[in-house]
Amino acid sequence: MVLLMLLFFGGSLYMSIRISRKKENADGYMTGGGKIGFGISAASMTATWIWASSMYASATSGYTYGISGPIHYGLWGALMILLIYPFGRRIRKVAPKAHTIAEVMFARHGRSSQLMLAGSNVLGSLISLTSNLIAGGALIAMLSPFTFTQGIVAIAIGVLAYTLWSGFRASVLTDFAQVLAMLGAVAIIIPVIFFAAGGPDLFVTGASNLTPQQGDFFSSDAFFNQGAPYIAAVLAYAIGNQTIAQRLFAVREDLIKKTFITATVGYGATIIGVGMLGVIALYAGVQPMDGDVNNLIPQMAATYLSPLLICVFFVMIIGSLSSTADADMTALSSIMMADIYGQNIAGKKNANPKTMLLVGRLTMVGATAAALGFASMQFNILDLLVFVGAMWGALVFPVIASFYWNRVTNVAFSVAVIAALAAFLPVRFEWVDLSGGLGIVSDVLSVIGIGVVLALMSFGFFGLKVAIGVGAVSIVASAPFAIGFLHTYPVLSGSLVAYAVSTIVCVAITMLNKTRRFDFELIKQRTGEFDTAETEIMIETESAIKNAEAAGDGALAGKDA
Amino acid sequence: MELILMAAYVLVWPVIVIGVLAVIIRAFVKDAREAKREGRQII
Repeated sequence: MVLLMLLFFGGSLYMSIRISRKKENADGYMTGGGKIGFGISAASMTATWIWASSMYASATSGYTYGISGPIHYGLWGALMILLIYPFGRRIRKVAPKAHTIAEVMFARHGRSSQLMLAGSNVLGSLISLTSNLIAGGALIAMLSPFTFTQGIVAIAIGVLAYTLWSGFRASVLTDFAQVLAMLGAVAIIIPVIFFAAGGPDLFVTGASNLTPQQGDFFSSDAFFNQGAPYIAAVLAYAIGNQTIAQRLFAVREDLIKKTFITATVGYGATIIGVGMLGVIALYAGVQPMDGDVNNLIPQMAATYLSPLLICVFFVMIIGSLSSTADADMTALSSIMMADIYGQNIAGKKNANPKTMLLVGRLTMVGATAAALGFASMQFNILDLLVFVGAMWGALVFPVIASFYWNRVTNVAFSVAVIAALAAFLPVRFEWVDLSGGLGIVSDVLSVIGIGVVLALMSFGFFGLKVAIGVGAVSIVASAPFAIGFLHTYPVLSGSLVAYAVSTIVCVAITMLNKTRRFDFELIKQRTGEFDTAETEIMIETESAIKNAEAAGDGALAGKDA
Repeated sequence: MELILMAAYVLVWPVIVIGVLAVIIRAFVKDAREAKREGRQII
């Protein structure tokens, strides 16, 4: 295991050194200059979206909900990437040289909108980083003589070492090698475990281990508990995740569609495939070690794979968590560089690219230390994740509307997000009794939320008229079934209420704006490269003045002596 | 018949994964050749 880790992180470090420059460029550090080709961008998008937790969760879904479980996890996760691409093209069109979506929100609305989005991005990336360290530490503790703490420290140092100097450029290049390792391992491990566990006969011998719902491909249990909440979260996770936005701003503009489609198929097949290990475990009657379903995948590997293939499996998991962890580090650093330092402290015109790079690198070190702290404390990140997910859900409509509708204002954006969060919390955590009239109010809002989600999905591909039609039909069609019933699923209801309230409030306040219209061309002027020829000249001049002053002081000091 | 369909349901995903892998590798090689021809780094 030690040798494998050394090979993996040593190889990644070697690749990173090969492309490193003594003098890195701030824009390259954040987005690679915005001209990345299809091969690297597709590999990077796929590798980043596949994280260790998604592999574990898909297998858990297969084990818990049976044969449809992996589909209800992996398919909707894959659609997140696909459904965001039409919006991605629009975002790139209005802000071709931006680095983060929060930076674009600053250009569109102002500080409060930017900080809401940046804050949720920072929390999300920190949670993801922590979660990846925990997954790696647990795996190392299970498959090697090392402890959990030693495991998380080794992974954190390994990822930081190859990402720190070149940032995003190192992250995407190493993603290519990591995706080769991950996808290659998936292609080998799934059939090997399937046949080792009994092959097709397993579906006969193990059929009695399944409940009727687990054996049903159209299980309502799987849909309402796993699939539906995930569909509701599809747009929220894609909009709220800076790692996706960063790759959107990095890929060559004409390659966005190809990249997103390839990543959709790659992610879907990999995660659904790994989820099949949970289905196989269910048929084989495997009991999760210590009752923890997160142990299922390592347990299946340890039971059915040869020592050589266990090494391949180990590389698959380490690859998945490293590729996402380095993406989280670069996402955090670009938010601190562009949104906090670039836009809020120095200002776009006065931002010094050298200082930006320092801010980015210090952020990576700080974020890694924080994630290590959370991981070692076994900090319960689940509640925080639910909250961040809700915040992203509340942001979806205001963010998307801001890119298309020139009447949306900063007040409409900010009030809509806060109102949606205020409505989400009591529903999601059942702080109020939903069995009476409030339950009906929650259901009505949830039904509107269904309409909003499906309308937004259609809007990206087919435009406003189709979207309004789809939204209206969904509301009418779902109302008779959902009202009086949906509030019994608080996870789903909470998300849908957040969508509905943010949309209603945002539209209502926007309609009050009768006079002001936003010119989208302004976004291009207000966002853009930090490392330009102008800033280069400015820095060189400042440096020359400082040197001259220092030389003068030295000469003076000499005289005094 | 049902057994074959179930086995196909489990095994189709690794096959798709291999297809995606082939697309990514081909595109990467093309990117690398272009970068070399133009005398620049791939990223």
